[in-house]
Parts: sequence; structure tokens; C-alpha cells
Amino acid sequence: MSLPDRPITILIAALGGEGGGVMADWLIDAATQCGYPAQSTSIPGVAQRTGATTYYLEIFPAEREQLGAREPVLSLTPSPGNVDVMVSSELVEAGRAMQNGFVSPQRTTLIASTHRIYATIEKMQMADGRFESEKVLAAARQMAKKAVLFDMRSLAQQSGTVINAVLFGAIAGAGVLPLPREACEQAIRRAGRGAEASLRGFGAGYEIAAGTRRAAEPPPPPRRATGVREIVELGVARLKDYQGAAYAALYLERMKPFLESDAGLAAEVGRHLAVWMSYEDIIRVADLKTRRSRFERVRREVGAMEGEPVVVIDYLKPGIEEFASVLPAALGARLAAWAERRGKLDAWNVGMHLKTSGIFGFLLMRSLAWLKPWRPHSYRYREEQRLIERWLGHVADAARRDVALALEVAECARLVKGYGETHRRGKASFLAILDALVENPATADAREQAAAIRKAREAALADPEGKALGSALGKPVVWLKPASQNVKSPS
Amino acid sequence: MERSFKSEVAKLRLGEGETFHGEGILAVTKALLQSGVSYVGGYQGAPVSHLMDVLNDARDILDDLGVHVETNASEAGAAAMLGASINYPLRGAVTFKSTVGTNVASDALSNLASAGVKGGALIVLGEDYGEGASIIQERSHAFAMKSQIWLLDPRPSLPRIVDMVEKGFELSEASNTPVMLELRIRACHVHGAFRTKANRAPRFSRNRALERPDFDYGRICLPPATYAQEKHKVEVRWPAAVRFIREHRMNERFEGERDDIGILCQGGMYNAVVRALQLLGQADAFGVSRVPIYCMNVAYPLVPEEIVGFCAGKTAVLVVEEGQPAYLEDAILATLRRHEVNGVKVQGKGLLPVAGEYTGEVVLAGVARFLDAAAALEPIAALKVKAAQLLGEPVPARPPGFCVGCPERPVFAAMKIVERDTAPFHVSADIGCHTFSTLPPFNIGHTVLGYGLGLASNAAVQPMFGGRTVTIMGDGGFWHNGLTSGVASAVFNRDDGVLIVMKNGYSSATGTQELPSSPQHSAHKAPDMAIERALEGIGVKWLRTVDNYRVGEVAKTLKDAMTSAYRGLKVIIAEGECQLERQRKLRPETAKKLAAGERVVRVKYGVDEDSCTGDHSCIRLSGCPTLTVKDNPDPLRKDPVATVIDGCVGCGLCGENAHAAVLCPSFYRAEVIHNPSLWDRVAFKVRGLFSGTAIH
Repeated sequence: MSLPDRPITILIAALGGEGGGVMADWLIDAATQCGYPAQSTSIPGVAQRTGATTYYLEIFPAEREQLGAREPVLSLTPSPGNVDVMVSSELVEAGRAMQNGFVSPQRTTLIASTHRIYATIEKMQMADGRFESEKVLAAARQMAKKAVLFDMRSLAQQSGTVINAVLFGAIAGAGVLPLPREACEQAIRRAGRGAEASLRGFGAGYEIAAGTRRAAEPPPPPRRATGVREIVELGVARLKDYQGAAYAALYLERMKPFLESDAGLAAEVGRHLAVWMSYEDIIRVADLKTRRSRFERVRREVGAMEGEPVVVIDYLKPGIEEFASVLPAALGARLAAWAERRGKLDAWNVGMHLKTSGIFGFLLMRSLAWLKPWRPHSYRYREEQRLIERWLGHVADAARRDVALALEVAECARLVKGYGETHRRGKASFLAILDALVENPATADAREQAAAIRKAREAALADPEGKALGSALGKPVVWLKPASQNVKSPS
Repeated sequence: MERSFKSEVAKLRLGEGETFHGEGILAVTKALLQSGVSYVGGYQGAPVSHLMDVLNDARDILDDLGVHVETNASEAGAAAMLGASINYPLRGAVTFKSTVGTNVASDALSNLASAGVKGGALIVLGEDYGEGASIIQERSHAFAMKSQIWLLDPRPSLPRIVDMVEKGFELSEASNTPVMLELRIRACHVHGAFRTKANRAPRFSRNRALERPDFDYGRICLPPATYAQEKHKVEVRWPAAVRFIREHRMNERFEGERDDIGILCQGGMYNAVVRALQLLGQADAFGVSRVPIYCMNVAYPLVPEEIVGFCAGKTAVLVVEEGQPAYLEDAILATLRRHEVNGVKVQGKGLLPVAGEYTGEVVLAGVARFLDAAAALEPIAALKVKAAQLLGEPVPARPPGFCVGCPERPVFAAMKIVERDTAPFHVSADIGCHTFSTLPPFNIGHTVLGYGLGLASNAAVQPMFGGRTVTIMGDGGFWHNGLTSGVASAVFNRDDGVLIVMKNGYSSATGTQELPSSPQHSAHKAPDMAIERALEGIGVKWLRTVDNYRVGEVAKTLKDAMTSAYRGLKVIIAEGECQLERQRKLRPETAKKLAAGERVVRVKYGVDEDSCTGDHSCIRLSGCPTLTVKDNPDPLRKDPVATVIDGCVGCGLCGENAHAAVLCPSFYRAEVIHNPSLWDRVAFKVRGLFSGTAIH
């Protein structure tokens, strides 16, 4: 009987703490039960602390008895183009495997979970720094000889187990390894602890990979309004809820000139305007936090079972800024200006842990929400409306010159968000761009101007500390004075 | 401890002719017992931590054999312990990570090598080189050459590794020289099998004491003994070693039909070489190769006769030597020249990269070029090009980081908050999990100079700044040498800086091993050694302890330290138990309570998606894996909102950050009450009447 001329190679890409090592042990155990020489290696080191890591296995698919005294020489590292089974516990890690040449159309079965765990650099941007999942999925379908792709994390959660069990099931079910299901299940049982849950996850993964069960359809992404009509309808409803019919009418009034022009521009303006006009002041936050739907959502998010009480404690830290924002306009303006001059904007914030699910906390929070009718007289309201008008004026001016330019100006509204210092920084970036590139552009060419605005905006969003924006604007940007200057070592 | 090693301990008991299945480093551990060691020591570090971890869990086996196990305070301590083999016929072994550990140990190693040993002395080195390494990239080989310590680099198969451990002791005794055994990361973690022998009780041990001390001035490091020792090294010990290596065939020669060429490789590179030959159609699955291979399981000293014998008559040979400088290649060239073997072209670093790990891909490329088969590499390059095109841009990097709920993360959040108020300051970092502060989102820490050396590395930085600078040190680094080289020196020199000692209770980065100041100790360790008392004893007058999770307090204390009128070293002990270890204890307890129907309050943090504006400032102050983003549920917004996913351990950092940095009001803390009491249920019904939150 002829012997195989090479081992089967398996590369597992996982993140620290997902049980990749345990899965490698299961595979080795299953292969050993079948009498196959097998070897695994890993590079845990510090990668086990949430970083990307890999496990590499080789199984020689011939029983030891056939081999006599001969021992296959197995490699400790994978080589590109020579991986039979590429396993990835997360989607972008599958992308990394392809990037490194470990997925080949001639040879590789790619088994990957389609869920995302975002890397720090994806999450920390002020806008959306996420890698496009669709690109990885499309690449996977083209690069792999066979691709088994489904959300294994949610399947693991449903089975009450860890993702490694589902992955192991998918590997076994894909039918590319000479390891019968029984041997794999036996390996899980022998490893002990949590075997029942692991077997459930294994079974689920096995059946989907084997094609005897369909993977659940991923939940559709949240609805994103795109058409002008839809956006304006949503905007009106939102602002009615925010401040009443008159305020919604103001929104429509502001939208009117745009509705007659380019539809794409009108949609973007309508979107940003509705969001901006429903700015998050303490009245709004208190309102949102005391809605019944909110408590229901919290219960859902924390996975509370029926009959289990949930205490909700909110973290609030109002300060001068919040206080000034609800004062009458003139008074609020003076207080805010004084605090800014003295560097006291963040100096006297009062940290509160408010038990909103309790009677006292709820009433306190609700009473802030009851200030709603007062809002149009407040300092913050006046400030926001002034800035909105200024922004809208620039968008309208730009639209008369070039729609693309107007879109770029409109998009700058994206910078004004957040609370406290983040809000101040965002607003400062917004004003800096308005000043340098919209009101005093260095070029008369609309296209060049649009490109400069886009570049500056993206820089501000990618690097909220403002260093990148400074260089995009061609000058250092000093946003804020330190809140207190007295921190120096005695000399 | 990070994990229990019960099943591994059972493997240490295996007797004659049984089969061991397990990791490379555990096979080494078993081989030590088979070799009759009297004592074992070491300092933790990937990839060799498990050797000590397992032995610490195997006290009963060791007690039976009389083997002494010492958890050394540092690699220097471990190497110095081998001094027991200088005067006495005791076999001993120590282990640590290389080259960082070897650097720390080199004073003792030099003295040990000069004095020479009577009993076999083995140093098991975890060669942390290449992918996954967390240290500077250098070679252990240099230490072997400079001190004349023999260096074993076995080919990565368990029977061979075990054999080299056993032979290593014999070699050490035959040549009166300590021996190093280097195992690369993957070899330490390689899972394989070998046939075991019975453990051997040592001739002298805790159970069979030495009878009298042995004095020999010839083994002291003072002249004229040192001169004699140097001569003895080159005139007696070296030739004895070469003779032993030859006679016992420690290096392996694999013949092949293409006798005009050949490959010489380090033992550790053998499998990669064979795989490359297989892929190029020059070898079969069992390593039977058309190209002859000389596999150097002993990387130092070389055996000139073997090299000459292998190379003579060939037109070209390839040297596969990982790491630089190319000591082997240079030595082989010199050897051939000395023996007037001039017809063979020696290739190595010309065809292979000078620096970096020799992965399967790298070795394949080098061997292919050597065999004029570079065309075989084209499909691989094409694969990468195609993938890059389809992906559009490189996928985001994912370096390791702080765990969920890590107590060190809040300290850096506090530091970022303080830096907003003060000007940014210089931070001298150290080695430990806290080194992750240098990565996004914190990017804190300007230099790393060595384990426990944070404060020492700040010594000349501090006086060069008008304001104060900050040093980070972990409790592991503190006990390793930070107390003396850092704190004592800073106090002695009237340093005015600020030191933050991260007290998480364990040597966490290497697998949560016990430290002198750990909250609990196993029975064979002394309890109650406190960092605070050590600092006071050494003369630190400004000392504060903070609870890491109270970010505001940490920030305030740090600001106090930066502005205090006190001149002298200011130490902040940042306390918070390693969350890995905490959860390991907490989870089973909670599960037990839940099963017993007891009231359990589970804390999880969350973000209100409708008040989150998607600016992610919370993430820039945290980096917690469970604080992440999701699609914005608001149809009018595009940017993703923050969210807390499953896995949150309820450490509270996000809420504390929101407070301390005045971020945003979207964070909430939810306390889910499992198995609620009657009172809980009544109270919630009543409250629900008011707020509409009645449980339904």
C-alpha cells in the first residue's frame, strides 16, 4: 500500500483567550486516536493577551503500523501556498491569513467565523475606522478552494460554549480531515471540563459545515435612511419628539431651499441638520434615560432573565458647561465665557452615580427632562442655532458654485459631536476648517477646495487630538489651553 | 497560577518504556528527572515558564527523589545557583528566557564557566526569537562563545530533545563545562511524543546529604587561578567536549545521492530545511533527501573533522543559520580554509536573509535559490499579490493588549487625563504587561531598558527636565531588581522623580506566577513580603497607595506627586489584582453560588446607544476589548456607536473614565440580581410603579 507523500497542514488563526490551544489539543488527540502521527506548535507568548496568534498542526494521514520505523518529518512553521485547512476565529484574521499567502485556490479549505472583533485602531477613530467585512468575504470566496463561512460566535453563544468548539465542529464537518466525528467527540470528552457544552457547539458547527443544517441568516444591518423623503420624514418625527411641532416646522423651513436643489445634497443636509438640531443637552439625555424603552433595552443588553431585577446606575458629571447651557441665553453666555477664560470649564464638575432605576434617581432625572419647554430660551439653544445657521449658509453658498463642494461642507457637521471636552474639540476642528478652508479658502477652484476640506475633515476624525488636522491645514492648531496652568514642579 | 498542571505532573511520573505525549518544554522537564538532577531553578518567561510551573506543582515527586526546586529571584540568581555543581558531583539545571535572561545571568555564567563544573550543569534557554517574541532580537550563541559554554540546538523532535538533555549532562561532566540547551518558541510548544525512562534519584540530594565541603582554590575567580582556568578551558575542556560530541554522534549526518552539494544547518532548523526540500521535490515525507544534510545539534563547539568530512569534495554547500552575526557560517568558512578545503563554495547569508526568523517560507526561498529552483516561489508571490488586490488595503494590525478588566489600564487612562492638564511628561517604561501602554490607544512610555530597570533608566532623564518625569515598574520587575537598581539608587542619589509600581500581585505576563508580594502563596513559599515595607525600609518617605479602578483618585494622586513640594523619590503603589487571576478564582465561586440558588449580583456596564454620539473618546481612553463599536441604530447617523459586549467583567473603568475625563453621560452600570430575595422583588415592584421599570 502506498503511503501519502505529504502531511495535511492546518493553520489556526485566533485571538488570545479564545481557546485556540485547547482546540489544537483536541485535534492532536483525535489524530492520535486514529493512529496518525501528528504535531502541533504555537507561539502563545504575550499574544495570549487578546492579540492575534496562530497555532499550526500537521497530521500525517497514515497509521503508525504502516510506517514501521519510519517517522515523518513535520514542520513547525506553515509555508504560504501549502496550507490544507486554514481556520480563523474571526473575519479579519481570515483576511490576514489571505494577505500572508496562506489561502490558495488550489489547496486550501478556509473555515472562518464571519463575526468581527474590532482592533483598537479600528475602534478609536472619531468616525468609522472599521475594516470592510464585505471585502474579506469576497476575497475569501475567490481565494479559497472551499470556503466555510458563518457566524460561529453567535452559534457558540446559543450553544452556551466557546467559539473553539464550534470551529472544531466546522473543521470536522467540512470533510477535509481524515478524522471521523466520533474521534473528535471523544477528544472533547477526554479533555473533561465543560465537555457537554463543547459537544453541543461542536455538533452545531459540524452540521453547518457538513451542509446538513443551515447557518442562521445574519441579522440585517440597522436601517440607514438614504432618500431625501425618508430622511426628512425621520427628521420631522425626531424633532417633534425633541421639541415639538414648531421646532419640526423650523427644520422643514431650513430644508426648503435644499429640497429644490440636488437630491444627494438635500439628503445629506437633511440628515446632518436633523441630528444637529436634536443636539444632546442634559434635557435630552435625561429624557432618553428615563424612557421605558430604555430600561427594557438595558435588560436585554445585560441578559437579564424574566423575574431578575436590574439596578441601573447612571454616570453623570455635570459642570459649569451643563449648568450654563440651560440658563437664559445672556446669563449662560457670561458664565460660559468667564469659565473658559479662567480655565474652569471642567473644574467643578460634580460626579454623580444616579440610581435611575430607583424612585429618587428616576424622579431627579425625569425632572431634568421636564425642562424641555424651557429649552428654546436657553443659552445652548441660541449657540447651536447660530452655528447651524452659519453652517447652512455656507452649504447653500457652496451649492451655488459646486454641489460636490457643498457636500464636503455639509459633511463637516459630522465633526460636532460628543460631550464636554470632546464636543469642544470637535467644534474647534469644525470652526478651524470653516475658517481656513470655507470662509478664507486658499484656492478659487471649487474642486481643489472640496478636496482640501475633505482631507482636513478626515484628518480631524482620524486623529481627534488634532495633530493630523494641524498638518492638513498647514499650521499648528492649538485647540485648548490646559484647564489649569498651575501644575508645575516646584523649582 | 494561570492554570493547573495536574495532568502534566502525571506525565512526570511515567516509568520505563511508557509513552509521553506533550509539549517540548515538558519533555525537557521529564528528561531532567530521568537524568538524576539534584536541583532545578529558574525564572519565568515565555517560552520556558511551564518548566518551573510544572515542577512547582510536582512537589511530591520531587520530594520522593530529593530534588530541590528553587523559584529564583532573577535569572542571575538562577545561574548563580549552578555554583552548587562547581565543587560537588551534583547535576543541576536552570531555565530562563534568552537573550534577556542570559543578559541578566551573564555575570554568574562567566564565573561558572571559568571555574568549571564537577557535576553536570544545564541551562535550558527559551530562545525567544521571531514571530511572537516579546524581546529584543539577539542570539544566545554569543554567550556560548564568549564564556565557552557548550550550546545544544537539538532538532525539534521530542526523542532528540530528550536525548540531548541526557547527553548534555554527560557532556558537561566529561568536559567540566556548563552546557546550554536552546529551544526556540515553537520547539518549546511543539506537541509530540517520546518513550520515557524511569526517573533517577540523584546521588546526592535533599534526601542524601553531602558529607563535607570541598575547598579548591583552583575554582576561585582570583589570580592565578583565573589564568589557569582560562588555559584549562582551551587546552583540556574544549578538546574533551569535541571528542565527546564526536564519539556520541551528537550531530547527525543524513546522506543523499547528490553528493556534489550539501546543507549544513542548526539542529533547530532541520525540519524547515527538510520541508523546503520536500516542497522542491528533493526529499520525501520521512526526510530521505537527495541533498545530504549535516544537522548540528551542537551549535558550539564545532567539530572540525565532521565539517571537513561533510564538505570535502562538494562544489557548494548551504549554511542555514538563523540569526546574526553569522557565527556558524564564518566558523565553517574558517575551518575549511584552515583544513585547505578550498573547492567548496560556502553559501548562507547571501541566499538567506541576514536577520529575522527563518520561517518555512524564508527557508524555502533560500533553499530554492541554492538549488536554482527559484521559479517554484512565483506562485506564492502571486497568491499574496492577488489577496492584497482583493482586500484593497492591509488588514488592521492586532497586537496583544491589556486583558478585559486589567487593573493596569486605568492607571494609563489616569495618566492621559493628567497629561491634558499638565504638559506631557517623559515616561520611562519597564517590562511587564504594562509595556502594552506604549501601544494605541495610550501610546505612553518613551523607553524600555530592561526588566525592573524602569527607574534606573530614568536616572539621567529626570534631571534634564524642568518638571518631573514618571517611571513605571511592575511588582515583578520590582522584586527582580527594581528595588536595588532602581529604588535604592534613586533614594541614594536624591532623585526627584515619580515612580508608579503596578502591584497586580503576580508575574502576570509570564503566566501569573507567584511573587514575594503575591496575595496568596503556596505552602512552600514564605508569606507576607510587602513592597510597602521594603520601600519604607529603604528610605522612601513619600508613599501613596491607590486603588487603580478609581481613575479620578489615581489622577489626583499622580498630580499631587508631580506638584508636591517634597523633593525626593515619590512612589505611588497602584493596586489592583490581575484580572486573569481574579476571574479564575471568582468564576467557579459564582457558578457554585448560582447553582445553590444563592443571591448573586452580576455587574455589567453598558452604553446608551441613543445618547452615544459615536465620537469614541471613551475608547481612546480605554482600549478594553469589550468596549467596542457597533452599527449605529439611528437611521440618520452613520458613525458606529460605542457598546459593551459580552465578556465585560464589570471592572467599572468605562464609568470611571466617563467621570474622571468628563466624557459623556451614556455609560450606565447595570446590576442584575440573580436568585433575587423576596425583598428585592417587592422593592422592584414598588419602584416600577414610579418609573415604569417594573420587572415584567
